[in-house]
Amino acid sequence: MNAFSMYVARESGLHKLHPLTKGSLTLALLVAGLTLPGDWTGYFLVLFIILPLARWGKVLENLVRTTWSLSWPFVLSVILIQSLFWGKGTPIFELWGISPKVEGARYALISVGRIILVMADFLLFAMTTRPDTLMISLKQVGVPSSIAYIIVTTLQIIPSFQRKALTILDAQRSRGLETEGNLFIRVRAFVPIILPLVLGSLMEVEERAIAIQVRGFNSNRKETSLVEIDDTRRQATVRKLFIIIALLCVVARIAWQLLT
Amino acid sequence: MAIVDLKDVTYTYPTTDSPALRNINLQVDEGEFVAVIGPNGAGKSTLCYTLAGFVPHFFKGELTGTVEVAGSESSQSTLHEWVLNVGLAFQNPFNQISGAKYTVFEELAFGLENIGVPRDEMKARVVDVMELTGISDLADRSPYSLSGGQQQRVALASILVMQPKILVLDEPTSQMDPIGTREVFGVIRKMAEQGMTVVLVEHKVEWIAQFADRVVALKDGQVLLEGTPAEVFTSSIVEESGFGISRYTSAARKARELGLWKSHRLPVTLDEAAEGFSQALTPDPPSASLRDASRSPGGTGE
Amino acid sequence: MVENIKKEFSTRTLVLIPIAIAINIAIGELVVRLKLPVYLDSIGTVLVGAIAGPWAGALTGALANLIWGLFNPFAAAFFYVAAVIGLLAGLAGKRGAFEKEAPRWLSVLVGAVFVFSLTMFIFAFTNATTDETGFTTYPSMAELFSSYAPIFIVAILAGGAIGYFLLQRGGYAGIWGLVTGGIAAIISAPTAAYVFGGVTGAGQDLLVAAFRASGAGILASVMAQGAVSDPFDKMLSFMVVWLILRSLPARFKAR
Repeated sequence: MNAFSMYVARESGLHKLHPLTKGSLTLALLVAGLTLPGDWTGYFLVLFIILPLARWGKVLENLVRTTWSLSWPFVLSVILIQSLFWGKGTPIFELWGISPKVEGARYALISVGRIILVMADFLLFAMTTRPDTLMISLKQVGVPSSIAYIIVTTLQIIPSFQRKALTILDAQRSRGLETEGNLFIRVRAFVPIILPLVLGSLMEVEERAIAIQVRGFNSNRKETSLVEIDDTRRQATVRKLFIIIALLCVVARIAWQLLT
Repeated sequence: MAIVDLKDVTYTYPTTDSPALRNINLQVDEGEFVAVIGPNGAGKSTLCYTLAGFVPHFFKGELTGTVEVAGSESSQSTLHEWVLNVGLAFQNPFNQISGAKYTVFEELAFGLENIGVPRDEMKARVVDVMELTGISDLADRSPYSLSGGQQQRVALASILVMQPKILVLDEPTSQMDPIGTREVFGVIRKMAEQGMTVVLVEHKVEWIAQFADRVVALKDGQVLLEGTPAEVFTSSIVEESGFGISRYTSAARKARELGLWKSHRLPVTLDEAAEGFSQALTPDPPSASLRDASRSPGGTGE
Repeated sequence: MVENIKKEFSTRTLVLIPIAIAINIAIGELVVRLKLPVYLDSIGTVLVGAIAGPWAGALTGALANLIWGLFNPFAAAFFYVAAVIGLLAGLAGKRGAFEKEAPRWLSVLVGAVFVFSLTMFIFAFTNATTDETGFTTYPSMAELFSSYAPIFIVAILAGGAIGYFLLQRGGYAGIWGLVTGGIAAIISAPTAAYVFGGVTGAGQDLLVAAFRASGAGILASVMAQGAVSDPFDKMLSFMVVWLILRSLPARFKAR
């Protein structure tokens, strides 16, 4: 796929599921992980639900690899900072005046569980769902097609904007713009690069708006869809189930807060 | 039957003082292929926008006179109704790709989805238009992975699939390389031969001269001259303005100054030029040519 | 009200939004490439707010983060912050902050006040004393100023200079940006603290560490870190948008 996307194409049952089924599952897991009382729910959900699903979707390796590469800065940071700067607490050890605290480390590990849950949950969804299929399914439940248009178009034009920025950077450099050196020099390089980028893009907006209206866009007519997405009654029921689960989790949390 | 009827149209953009179009009178018959030429700032793009309804509905501003295109009249219709009848394409193919679809096939169907065409009909129309424009082999490609010429053909196809009554094209080959230009002109010519009404703004005079029925020369927002390609491209008015000059015409003019050109008419196409030059280079019967050669002012005299 | 919302979403606006989001990303990357100590990843969002209005700006911010969330879920969690940034940019636009030229002295004032407050803020945290019961007392502004007077004076002067050179005549935009940044810091702190344990995995975490070391709670430390970086970043973003809009030919401002 030529677009900016995390999608990993595989032949799997998970991939074949309706996008909204996967979406509601993602939501349910997220809500459960963040609201259910209990500190270690994050790890639990990742280990016993997300990883097996990833295996089913044949994206286990990708998921683990990407989740780790996105999360490790957080993990490192949170463990270091919360353990070392916890303030008053039980020291794990004392060395050269530095003493990480048990409470801090515990808090850090709980946070790591949540971080990994959020990452893995979203990534699983992104890896097994094509953005355009997702948009079509959203349209079918009433999300305005303008939202779908915005999301897919953004994904497709990001690479060309990244290229444009680099082209302008090179062009300005060849005209003598200094981009390396002390802070002042680098700050002064900023405007000569972004101004052409942004102004040029704004000029194009008009033509793009005309071109897309020539094809009937935003005309408030009833729209039809080229692509049909496979769906089953069972999935529709399951989707409702996930939403209910998510709501129940929130209720459980509120109840727990009130009772303790 | 006139499918385009502009009467005394004057239009001024909202933020400017001077009109972009002044007292334009233009009629185009159904099935005609009209080319529009003129220098920059002549109002060619504004004319295209007017034919497509974007002037005044998109740009606002002041419009006087009547604009009737394909049965719709400017002050009575909305832009949404207008676009069903008029297809508009411009220079930059990148800006004409919606961005909302991942494959060419879906991109072509985009317009049909917007106007609510049923699925089966959509698929049939897309397949047909891909064949018409020669892009069937691109169906599963991403529109962003194509060459300029391919993208422009996709843009044209995505408009043709809506089955407009008129095709308005604003310099569609200006950003193309020679191959792309050939591909795009190929599609336009095919549409014209099939009876589509075409209004084409172009600089490539030689091509227009070959295929257009009529040429309209614009300058400063007004119609400077109208007529067949031969009439317009060989007229002295156009020559003085400095635009719309065919290389063949220039070459023949030069030859005429040198006393070589025999025909009364100046050529505007390659064929006419070839004919004229072969006439010019055919030696006359012996006695006549010797006498003439010694007398003519810029003669080849040896 | 619904009419007003709808009016903001003309085709021009819908076409602008993907471009603005792509601009967010392209500029965000450029800043990393130029190794500048800022984010400046909301310029597109602010631009849409300024040109098309608060609702369009809010939508742009929300979608920008949700889309970015497909790659880095961290960003998705803060979609509401980006939405608020877009909303405030729109309000600023309606008040003409991006059109008017502010006097230079205003920029100097804004800069000076900002750096002064920041310095005050940081010193308050680092000089806080916590007793055995966990109760933290923060010194008063007067106490701090008298203890560190020379530093504060330098801060005021430096702030004034920064304001003069960076904000130039975009003072109104700069003020709106400052306020927006402050609000952004406050509303993003709970999510950062609760969901992500108070860190971003980047350099600012050191700030959080510093605040924690001085005895502040987690939420407070995160808010403090935000208060240091966000207002400046947004102040600059708003000013850049001001600069961009001044350079636009009149034709494109006609809505």
